[in-house]
Amino acid sequence: MALQPAAGARDLNPQQVERNHKISQRLADTYRQWGYDEVSPPRVERLDTLKAGGAIASQDIVRLVADDPLGLRPEMTASIARAACTRLANRPRPLRLFASGTVFESRPTDEGSLGIEEKLQSGVELFGIREISAEMELLSLLVASAETLELCENHKPQLLMGHTALMDLILSPYQDNQRDAIRKALVDYNRLALDELELSEKQHDRLIKLINCRGIPLVILETLREVFGQHDVLNNLQRLFEQLEPLATSQGINLQLDPTFQPHFELYTGLVFQLVCQATAAPMVIARGGRYDGLVARCGAKANSAAGLGFSFAVDDIRELLSAAPPEPELIKATLVAYGENTTLEQALKHQRLCHQEGKRALVELETCRDREEALTRLAARNCTELDWIDS
Amino acid sequence: MITVALAKGALLKDSVARFSNAGLDFSAVLDPDNRQLMVPSSCGRARALLVRNGDVPVYVAYGQAQLGVVGYDVLREHQMPVAQLVDLGFGGCRLAVAVKASSGYEHAADLPPHCRVASKFTHCAREFFDALDLPVELVHLTGSVELGPITGMAEAIVDLVATGRTLRDNGLVAIEDLFQSSARLVGHPLALRLDRGELQAIVEAMRTQTELPQALV
Repeated sequence: MALQPAAGARDLNPQQVERNHKISQRLADTYRQWGYDEVSPPRVERLDTLKAGGAIASQDIVRLVADDPLGLRPEMTASIARAACTRLANRPRPLRLFASGTVFESRPTDEGSLGIEEKLQSGVELFGIREISAEMELLSLLVASAETLELCENHKPQLLMGHTALMDLILSPYQDNQRDAIRKALVDYNRLALDELELSEKQHDRLIKLINCRGIPLVILETLREVFGQHDVLNNLQRLFEQLEPLATSQGINLQLDPTFQPHFELYTGLVFQLVCQATAAPMVIARGGRYDGLVARCGAKANSAAGLGFSFAVDDIRELLSAAPPEPELIKATLVAYGENTTLEQALKHQRLCHQEGKRALVELETCRDREEALTRLAARNCTELDWIDS
Repeated sequence: MITVALAKGALLKDSVARFSNAGLDFSAVLDPDNRQLMVPSSCGRARALLVRNGDVPVYVAYGQAQLGVVGYDVLREHQMPVAQLVDLGFGGCRLAVAVKASSGYEHAADLPPHCRVASKFTHCAREFFDALDLPVELVHLTGSVELGPITGMAEAIVDLVATGRTLRDNGLVAIEDLFQSSARLVGHPLALRLDRGELQAIVEAMRTQTELPQALV
């Protein structure tokens, strides 16, 4: 019998589960406070739904052996978007939903076999608003949620943002293969690939300027206006950043606008962002999200209401990040019900039930104790703080 | 603190010189008595990880090092998600198909289908032969690849050629190049995107000195 879990699958101990639960609970409380309702999308879906119309590559999906092409969800957005456009289509917009649960990502391991990455996520989705007001609410909620995690200064949280419309502006003078090659070089941050492309000196210099362009959002917007002139997307982002900047600063989150930043999943058609913290050695993405109007349209929403955006927190990563400097474990009050030779286990179980009815956490010592003193010595081993001794 | 992954071996001396000109002095790694694998710079704001050539993109891709110097051949072979920033110009060589001088083959396409080709760079070799539509059996070796054709195990090899002397001394001849390689400055894409100028300043300093005539550097 194999004793190891499959590569990448989670196998958590009680302490880790407790911490995950606490993080998820804090996030969920915040989402509820902001008027979001909880949904629970399926873990198993048709591959077609999971691929989100080609936005997610099939090699990223853990497939199931079944007559129907089925897979485990690599993220929850596609399933929630489908629900929003079908069962919940008649609910008034804006529709605010949140979900937490496990997602599975497939990736080849270094040894060439298949690895399954199983992660706990907690995130929100906001449907039906095409205007910048949706981004303003979503990023404010992101900052409020991050606040509940009690990140410290050493984590240096940074909110990295890009926008697909900024990328479109950059690529607007180029066509077909050249456009694809430039996009790939910019997204991969491959400066040398840009040098190798056949471009005029002016085009090359402009792209080099843009691949090096990132920093404080309002400053970067000014630079982009100098290059592209006035555009709606720049004005919308200006409004967003003016509202967000003081809020983020008050929580110690640095904002970084990077016009050539695009995430791994090609799901997004608007603002994209990642909340990144500094882990012990390398940067760690603890939340990611963006606008995915295209996906909502593919799910069947009508043109004027085909709008959706959301984010998700990576709960396991946050637990690891915070456990680098773990807080003192909280002493949970618990009662140990122990019994002597003059009574029975049945009596002890009855007593335990009484404790539970009073709302106390209580567990029974299954072995008979010689006397009260012996029972007291077992308190620590059973993680209990009080003893209820019955011996008559 | 900035962490830089440096490849032990042929590229090390030039890599240290380039970082030194960009303001990070890692000359302690060149000390023959040094056995430390993580060496701080003399200014104290950076540290160098001394790793094998093939491991540089791994440390950079996982974010343990923000910058690294490695040959283009390794980048092509391992295909790790790292940002290629500057062609540093040193460590020049080419990846080539070589055969026994007496074999009579003049081009890679002359090789018989399904023949064996020995290489340390099987990924690059696979790409090359696939593009030629020539089916070959690739044999992965980790060194002394020239022995493949000499012993008769393989018809050809795909290996790095700098001066060509090793090939000549072993009775082999290069018949076709896959690509030219030189040392590259690479970076962790996310670290570069989160950068507020510190990494960019080092990258630009290294680019500027690469673009200068080498006599002035």
